[in-house]
Amino acid sequence: MPGPFAYLIWFVNILCEVAVVVCAFKKQTLRRYFLLNIYMAGLVISDIGRYKILAEYGYSSRQYQYFYYYSDAVLTVFLYFALSTLYSHVFSELKAESYVKFGTVLLLAGTALFTYSVVAQSSAKLVTHFVIELSQNLYFVGLVLTYVLWGAILKLRETRTRLIQLVLSLGVYFSLIAANYAIRNLYPSLSTVFVPLVQVFATFLPLAWAYAFWRLPEDARLVPSRLAVIPR
Amino acid sequence: MSRKLAVVLFVMLILVGSMGLKTLVTAHADGSILMAAGGAPAPPTPYKAGGAPAPPTPYRAGGAPAPPTPY
Repeated sequence: MPGPFAYLIWFVNILCEVAVVVCAFKKQTLRRYFLLNIYMAGLVISDIGRYKILAEYGYSSRQYQYFYYYSDAVLTVFLYFALSTLYSHVFSELKAESYVKFGTVLLLAGTALFTYSVVAQSSAKLVTHFVIELSQNLYFVGLVLTYVLWGAILKLRETRTRLIQLVLSLGVYFSLIAANYAIRNLYPSLSTVFVPLVQVFATFLPLAWAYAFWRLPEDARLVPSRLAVIPR
Repeated sequence: MSRKLAVVLFVMLILVGSMGLKTLVTAHADGSILMAAGGAPAPPTPYKAGGAPAPPTPYRAGGAPAPPTPY
């Protein structure tokens, strides 16, 4: 059963998620980053649903388990499509939108096919197993895609500050969760510290995106290429 | 056409890289699930019923040490 600290972090997390959508609406960037905001709105709705089910049925109930993992899978698919729109923004000047869309659908289909081929070998609860594994695999696909996108931003000398902030915060968020998971499994005795940290890390992404929408104007520019070492 | 093939190659590389990274990260995993979306506390997985320890595999009869491979 989650303690008061878990509830507090969860509440702060929901507030940050709401802040992202509100900031985007106030700064009139709701349409420009539509899927990012859909993902955040989906997070708010799923968090409210999770809280309601947790309060009604309990932490170890089947209802909470199924709602949590199925909603997580849907949200991961939303996040995946949100990431593809960041690709579209970065490659907009190359007129490569149709290729980004083609690649997005192909990668999603490939991941689903790979997941099914793995899960089909374990017979019990095939659909649930598939949904959870797809969510996990898409998470790692998103992690790698974010690193590749950061490489493209450096290579293309992208200067849009808000876009860079959105991509970098996503990369940091993915990396924190993956590192936490790896350390947690390497040192199981420290899991009492690292398991609650996942909730704290989950707050980072909405906080960083809210900051990007609220503080950074769309026309703000910086030069990330100065970070890259270029031989003369 | 060549651009579409480049996209297919990129997709395949991403898929292989991601699954490789997943294998690396979950190498020592105890079966717990890495969840990222939202701040809700993660429940136990629904397809792991009960908390009983896993029994030994049924196809290794007896407790004799395994001999070296014949080749």
